[in-house]
Amino acid sequence: MSDLELQQATAVSAASHAPARRRGRMPRIGTVLAAAFVVFLLAATVAPELVATQDPNEIAPGDAFQSPSLAHWFGTDESGRDVYSRVVAGTATSLLIGVTATAIGLALGLGLGVLASFGGRIADFSVNRLVEVLFAFPGLLLALLVIVVYGPGPVTATVAVGLSTAPGYARIIRGQLVAIRSSQYVEAARVLGRSPARIISRHVLPNALLPIFVLATLGIGQAIVWAAALSYLGLGAQPPAAEWGAMLAAGRTYLATAWWMTVFPGLMIVGTTIATTVLGRALTRRGRGER
Amino acid sequence: MTPGSPTDERRSIRGATLRRAGLLVAGAVFVLWAVATLTFFAIRLIPGDPAQAILGGPGSQASQEALDQVRRDYGLDQPLIAQYFAMLGRLLTGDLGVSYALKLPVADLLGAQLGGTLLLAALALMLAWILALGLAIWSTGRGRVASALGEGVEITAAALPHFWLAAVLIAVFSVGLGWLPPVATGTLAGFVLPVVTLAVPLAGFLAQVMRESLLDAMQQPFVVSARARGESALGVRARHTIRHASLPAISLSGWALGWLLSGAVVVETIFAMPGLGRTLLQAVTLRDIPVVTGVVLLVALVYVLMTVLTDLAARIADPRLRQEAGR
Amino acid sequence: MRAAPVTTSPTPRRIGIAAVAVVSTIALTACQAPAPEASGEPVSGGTLAYASGDAEPTCLDPHVGGNYPQALLAGQFLESLVSRDDSGEIIPWLAESWTAADDGLSWEFTLRDDVAFTDGTPLDAEAVKANVEHLKDPATQSSTGYLALGKVDRVEVVDEQVARFVMSSPDSALLESLTQPWVAIESPAGLARGMDENCQAPIGTGPFIVDEWVKQDHVSLVRNDDYTSPPADAAHDGPAYLEAIDWRFVPDSASRYAALQAGQVDVIDNPQPDTISAAKSNDSLAWLDAPRPGAANRIELNSGQAPFDDERVREAFIRAVEVDEGIDALFFGTAERSFSPLSSVEALAYSDEALFEPDLDRANALLDEAGWTERDADGYRVKDGARLTLRFPVSTNQSIPAEQSLFEQVQATAKAAGFDVVIELLDLSSWYGALAEHEYEIVSAPYTKVGPDVLRILYHSDSITPAPSGYFANLAQLDDPEVDSLLTDAASTSDADTRADLYERAQQLILEGYYLLPLYDQQNSFLLSTSVQGARAMPTVSTPTFYDAWLAD
Repeated sequence: MSDLELQQATAVSAASHAPARRRGRMPRIGTVLAAAFVVFLLAATVAPELVATQDPNEIAPGDAFQSPSLAHWFGTDESGRDVYSRVVAGTATSLLIGVTATAIGLALGLGLGVLASFGGRIADFSVNRLVEVLFAFPGLLLALLVIVVYGPGPVTATVAVGLSTAPGYARIIRGQLVAIRSSQYVEAARVLGRSPARIISRHVLPNALLPIFVLATLGIGQAIVWAAALSYLGLGAQPPAAEWGAMLAAGRTYLATAWWMTVFPGLMIVGTTIATTVLGRALTRRGRGER
Repeated sequence: MTPGSPTDERRSIRGATLRRAGLLVAGAVFVLWAVATLTFFAIRLIPGDPAQAILGGPGSQASQEALDQVRRDYGLDQPLIAQYFAMLGRLLTGDLGVSYALKLPVADLLGAQLGGTLLLAALALMLAWILALGLAIWSTGRGRVASALGEGVEITAAALPHFWLAAVLIAVFSVGLGWLPPVATGTLAGFVLPVVTLAVPLAGFLAQVMRESLLDAMQQPFVVSARARGESALGVRARHTIRHASLPAISLSGWALGWLLSGAVVVETIFAMPGLGRTLLQAVTLRDIPVVTGVVLLVALVYVLMTVLTDLAARIADPRLRQEAGR
Repeated sequence: MRAAPVTTSPTPRRIGIAAVAVVSTIALTACQAPAPEASGEPVSGGTLAYASGDAEPTCLDPHVGGNYPQALLAGQFLESLVSRDDSGEIIPWLAESWTAADDGLSWEFTLRDDVAFTDGTPLDAEAVKANVEHLKDPATQSSTGYLALGKVDRVEVVDEQVARFVMSSPDSALLESLTQPWVAIESPAGLARGMDENCQAPIGTGPFIVDEWVKQDHVSLVRNDDYTSPPADAAHDGPAYLEAIDWRFVPDSASRYAALQAGQVDVIDNPQPDTISAAKSNDSLAWLDAPRPGAANRIELNSGQAPFDDERVREAFIRAVEVDEGIDALFFGTAERSFSPLSSVEALAYSDEALFEPDLDRANALLDEAGWTERDADGYRVKDGARLTLRFPVSTNQSIPAEQSLFEQVQATAKAAGFDVVIELLDLSSWYGALAEHEYEIVSAPYTKVGPDVLRILYHSDSITPAPSGYFANLAQLDDPEVDSLLTDAASTSDADTRADLYERAQQLILEGYYLLPLYDQQNSFLLSTSVQGARAMPTVSTPTFYDAWLAD
């Protein structure tokens, strides 16, 4: 089988077993919505003062715990600050934490994973042990240690979360690569005498990309959630920063009386994860030649 | 004996197994050693004087004489490298040292906490698996709506912080309905909410990964041929694809363990359960070095055992891995 | 001194001497329900479940270290020589009478002759001697109790039931010191077991006995059926009504309140202000409000270094900050604004509201005058290229969420005048580390000590000298010879009027120097199920006692 035949076979099987996947020309509604949400996030990141309705740090103790209204779309918090404006103001920090931590984790994980699956038995053995050592070190402890040593704040939280997710990525990437390495089409390519570099770049990485992409899109939300856990322990973003995780942690105290304080930042985290996932899917489908 | 006779083959298999076992043990010892070493030096980075931690913790007003005495007693006046080897020596004899704060043997302290945390983690992992598999199977290959719904549920579940989920569960099931106690007191009912709190976000995560593999698997040639042989869609899903799909999820279980233990720090605090997570948090706050080291080593030990198990499980799920000897 | 890790409550501080009558303002309220004491006949039996949000002690013997979580528990199984009643009078407890020598250099305590420790050892003068020696032995690592007995040189056994305290100098506040749980009397046989064993289950004379301590879970206390020694203000004699107390450690405040609502526990401590407010409208819950004695919760201004070495900058900060509205909103009316360095339970507390009137114009004028005339792009004041930055380390273990939110409001209001307040949320060890390194301009540190003598600890220049760990109590770094001499004189005079006058003048100087911003009393609240009857807070250090408590159906 030639490369072309191989690709055609894959495409055919994909098409025949995903009857629900439409092959029309129009982008899906979900994709459009996701794109709109991401545009909103980007706007909030670049020019929060244009998207927000108020100064996110302006206090008004007399207006504390107001439920959502026309004046305060997402209500107000315990200091009378506008939750919507704080959610907008927190976008940049939260995305920075989510994206950077994921990038750190993924980059380390990808490097280790590739080394383990294609570097021979010794490399595989060493990487596996290294990953195990990192695994055996509970992620939150790693984060706590980093914070205790270097002081709390978004940067330490990001680095801590990134480092603690790396072994997980390494492990799943390695698993994925090993499975693909021994799959029929790679074996076929090997039989055809393709060079290892070409096999990795043409067959393995493209096939491994989708799950990695999914991991990454999930990872952004996960990283924000872990940073929220650090905030719950009092060691996340420092006041008055309106980071989503810190807002969730702060609002939890008032869950029974002011649900809007946690629900809206929480929805932002979920929304970001869903939007990035949906867009990620759309991009992979395009890469596979679907629509 | 001629080469290729059945006895010879069995012997070579046994040899491979033995070699593999040897490698596993060596790997395990290496991991434990590396973790002990990393912890030892990482903790030295933390600002603060261990002697102060021994003499009353933060804000201690111990006298200089008392501090000097404690430094001598605990060997803290020795060079760092001597302290390191002294610690390794103690570890070799199974001695984890004495807690700075509680002045009790670390082994006794942690021994009492290990069971609860492991039970919590194991139950949560099981529940997460069941939820994830159920959701992935139900929503995959069933059309766009089911798929989108399943995915939405998974992503939302994965994005729920433990502390928030716990608060909602307590508000609904303890305060609202009065079905389950908000504080775990060692009863079975007390375990329900902590386990669910830990399992739901993990299930969302596992299901995501499984769905991708499941979709991939359903496009594989062996599924095409199985369908061509006339097997039903559900039959194919159950027999062929789940196995395939569970591979990455199995290799994730090790990750899940570390994830669960990190989650346990929060969950044990909220539900007031005794356990390793809470012990760890308190030990870090008090700079109780022997307890931190002990918890990390214990977790590493559990992890190493867990790796062996998932390794075996992966081999059973994927015959291709069985042929890879000595990995 | 030990502080409490992983807690949601303000952490206790050393408690010591009280010299004058202190009117306790402890109030037990239940909305729409009559005061709980007044309903029905006590019934015996049952187990009371208590959920504590204070840190789990690392040692149950309050002689070791000595913090508030230890006092909370020790109050159930250990007893002191004397106690105080609601009016502040010293009343008999394990000692039935006492006399002081005219020169104040010795005191004789006559002990009750019908009391035995729960291990069978009789309570006698030898036991008292052994306890004082235990407290003064450096190996015990006592901090709070050690300070309380600072002027006690030794104890002599006069006869079996009479112990003589020999003083190194007169101490008119000795009796108040001896009311505290940190100098409670333990069985000498128990102490002789050594610290490791004694920490697990100290042996006392109290109404309950430590049965079992499961770390990070609970302490089981069982009734002492042979109990004979209630303090003189107790409501009944003989053994306690409750059969047992299940003392659980529940660090999360929301879980604690949920457990109370669900009926899983009967009493919780350290409730969040919003839950107190909710409980007030709940017929089945009662609120026991028992502010701690000693200092009020306040923000200290570090006058030891720039920019607060300039009084004008200190006043500018205090005039710029607005907290009244925030306290109302965040504490739901459960905390009252304070304008004194001392807790409102201290009779000698001196307030001056006029000094704390917010006035942004005056703040700006003062800062201009002090040379902070420039403003940078972010609106913060600048002088010689340096921003007017105030580092504010906040201990997440000591400041409850409402207080942390209040500090954020301080940050926001101070910004208007051009202050850049940098809040740093730290764990307890890092927080002490930051203070020891003088890496702060403002800080809030609770301090509990019975009586106005707390002022000497907090504002005498001697308290700037750090312990080997770097710890020091005078966080305002107030160094004023006049304040020093007022506080020293007040501590040694025995005339009540002179003393009151000296303390008032000292407080005036402290307040007028703008060294601190008082906020409110150290909050110390308990929520009880109304089925719990007869519980009260001790008039000594406001810990709850369950000797008179019973469970109604």
